[in-house]
Amino acid sequence: MKFTPDRLRAMAFAIVASIVPTRACRVTSRLWLVLWAGIGMVSLIQPAMASAAPPQARLVIEAAMDRQVAAPLLAAFSRRYPDVELDYRDRSSMAVNALAQQADAQADIILSSAMPWQVALVNQGLAQRLDSDEARQWPEWAKWRDEVFAFTFEPIVMAYRLDLAARMLPPVSHADVLNLLTEHAETLAGRVVAYSPSRSALGYALYLQDSRYSGRFWKLVTALGRVDATLETSTQRMLEGLSDGRYWLGYNLLGSYALQWAQTHPDIIVQMPSDYALISMRTAFIHRDAPHPEQARAFINFLIGREGQHVVAGETPLYSIRDDITGPFTAQSLRDQVGQRLYPQPLDASSLSMLDNARRNDFLARWFDAYSGGAPTP
Amino acid sequence: MIIHGKLRDRLLGWLLSMMFIVGGLLMIDAWATSQRSAQRAFDNQLEDALLAMSEAIQWQDDKPRIMMPPAALKILSTRHQERVFYRLIDDQGRVLANNLDMPLPPGLQREAAEGDVWHDMRYQGVDWRLHARSVRSAGWERQFRVQVWVGHTTEGREQLARELMIRATGRMLVMGLFAAMMIFITLRLALTPLKRLRHQLRRRQPQDASPLSGTMPEEMRELVETLEQLFARQGESRDALLRFTADASHQLRTPLAGVQNAAEFALSSDSPTQWHQALSDIHASAERTSRLAGQLLNLTRLRHLALPTEQDALDLADLLRDVVMEWVDHDLARQHDLGMAELPSQPVCVIGESWALREMIGNLIENALRYTPAGSEITLGLGLEAEGGGVVLSIEDNGPGVDPQMLERLCQPFERAGRQDTDGSGLGLAIVETIALRHQAELQISNRDAGGLCVRIRFARRQP
Repeated sequence: MKFTPDRLRAMAFAIVASIVPTRACRVTSRLWLVLWAGIGMVSLIQPAMASAAPPQARLVIEAAMDRQVAAPLLAAFSRRYPDVELDYRDRSSMAVNALAQQADAQADIILSSAMPWQVALVNQGLAQRLDSDEARQWPEWAKWRDEVFAFTFEPIVMAYRLDLAARMLPPVSHADVLNLLTEHAETLAGRVVAYSPSRSALGYALYLQDSRYSGRFWKLVTALGRVDATLETSTQRMLEGLSDGRYWLGYNLLGSYALQWAQTHPDIIVQMPSDYALISMRTAFIHRDAPHPEQARAFINFLIGREGQHVVAGETPLYSIRDDITGPFTAQSLRDQVGQRLYPQPLDASSLSMLDNARRNDFLARWFDAYSGGAPTP
Repeated sequence: MIIHGKLRDRLLGWLLSMMFIVGGLLMIDAWATSQRSAQRAFDNQLEDALLAMSEAIQWQDDKPRIMMPPAALKILSTRHQERVFYRLIDDQGRVLANNLDMPLPPGLQREAAEGDVWHDMRYQGVDWRLHARSVRSAGWERQFRVQVWVGHTTEGREQLARELMIRATGRMLVMGLFAAMMIFITLRLALTPLKRLRHQLRRRQPQDASPLSGTMPEEMRELVETLEQLFARQGESRDALLRFTADASHQLRTPLAGVQNAAEFALSSDSPTQWHQALSDIHASAERTSRLAGQLLNLTRLRHLALPTEQDALDLADLLRDVVMEWVDHDLARQHDLGMAELPSQPVCVIGESWALREMIGNLIENALRYTPAGSEITLGLGLEAEGGGVVLSIEDNGPGVDPQMLERLCQPFERAGRQDTDGSGLGLAIVETIALRHQAELQISNRDAGGLCVRIRFARRQP
């Protein structure tokens, strides 16, 4: 038996009518109608109210950043905002990118190292503008439209096993890598790992940048192909392979992960290139449809604020951007180490050109052409 | 008419409101200009970005390929970091490159095939400005066309327009304040002569008729001249009044002196004949004095009487006949030949006061009787003008006439044209003139060619 409102009302009326004498019936029936309507509304509202008031505020972070690396930052944020329940979801940069574009993303913060993709998301109007003192004071080159903010300054490094150092002079520059690959092609065959340009967003961006700054880049790609270098999708997997002994040399690793890994794996040596270093910046923005915008703003302000940057510089190997922070991992300390030849990826509309399909296909075709031994097209 | 409020306030009000109106118009213009400037500056960037993209189109195997140049996107984004849109479409409608799913109106796409297109639209709740153009290849066998669309959000334009507008507003405010200050100062300076004039007038004595001192601006000279003329006229009328009073006293004194003489002569004599003689002299003098006083009274009354209120249509011919008939039997007329010319057959109607007109005609007759020798002919006439509808009352005599130079002064009180041989008071013609003025009639006195005086008074004729 279904209890439709009409039937319920009829039943109630019947019960009332049987109790109350008939003369008063007309008046009371109207009163009952009102009562019934009231009960119906309360029962409708109650479940909605229950879901609208969670016990505490949440913050959903969709991040392409290793949880282990991010841990000190998240811990510091939780200390600062103990009421906010952090929901940190670690994914690949492509997965984060795809998720951000979903109609019902349910994400507050989109955090990724794939800068051109982040810029593209902002260009699609998926970000919210952040209006705060921290945002205004943030350096121009590390933000775009006051919507997406770069908060790390991570160098791209090389890593090798001690096994390699035992056999040959370890590389310190890009030219050294090319020489090693050429001179010790047999020894290194199958023992070199690098990013896949097609499957890794960061890898593609790094190769594109390399091609701009390095004169002998295409020869390097050909050399990578000649030693049959493995093409990986994340620094993490490259490091695991190095520790396992599958690989001896890794090219273009995210310095932040590599440095942290090397702390616990003494057989891995991390080398900052001495000729030039590419810089990858981790960027974050508040999603347009963020369910918890207030907490999201607090988080970004924390990241680019003194406190967050202090954690970045002191407790993570992510390197801070602010130059009023002292610590082992600051952009300034990196400059002191490598010199001025640090090339950060641009954080502006020009990076959208990297995502242009024609350009991407063209580059990838040329890359794989060189990798598979074909002469690079002029 | 007296204008309420201060002249300075009125001037200030007008000038300031004019300034506000002009300022408002200028602000509207500044707004339009800043919008236009911002639009032009950013449109230029759209054009540059489009050009940079067009340059990057390459033709391989008769197929267009685009290597999207980062610089083009940087230009497109501008320094205001706009969100950017681009789309390249070949002539088969295939999309070569695209970064946003922006819906392009098909009409515009057709238009873009022909020439430049500028388009404003809303996408994702934000304003965008788009620019499109067709780029042609010089193919060997056939020509290819690629439609290049570029666009960006309009935040930078709005911000630039706002900045320009704020700057323009600032300038306007400074200029407005400056102008207002200048107006205050200028008004104060310009109105100083008026203030000076006010002080001068306030300090002036009532009998002072001298011209105002000090230099006056051109615009005020007229006012000052008018004021000076007024002072002069007031002075003259006061002089005339004093002269009249003096003359009247003098005129009254002469017969009174005669009475005194006669009385002294009689007192010093014992002869009743001489007493009789003296008494008749006194009687004559008293009569003359009484007539003089009567005429003075008449003249003063006429001059100070308000404008006539009871005016009727009168038959002037009847009136003239009556008065002449009265005078024919008068003692004074005994030795004169007082007559009338033939009067017009129809009634001669004029508007006027009966008593005043009678007085006037009487005075004319008495005047003629007193100033002509015995036996003179005095003729009154009434003529209708052929044109103009006037009626002329005339009185002529064949007496000695008047010195032509004196003619103009005849109407002044106590003017006897140098004649001492008469009992006339010299007030007759003055009374006549006053009455003529009251009736808007023209008085004309002239010497006749045949000798003697002719007085004509022209009235406006009223159709009965």
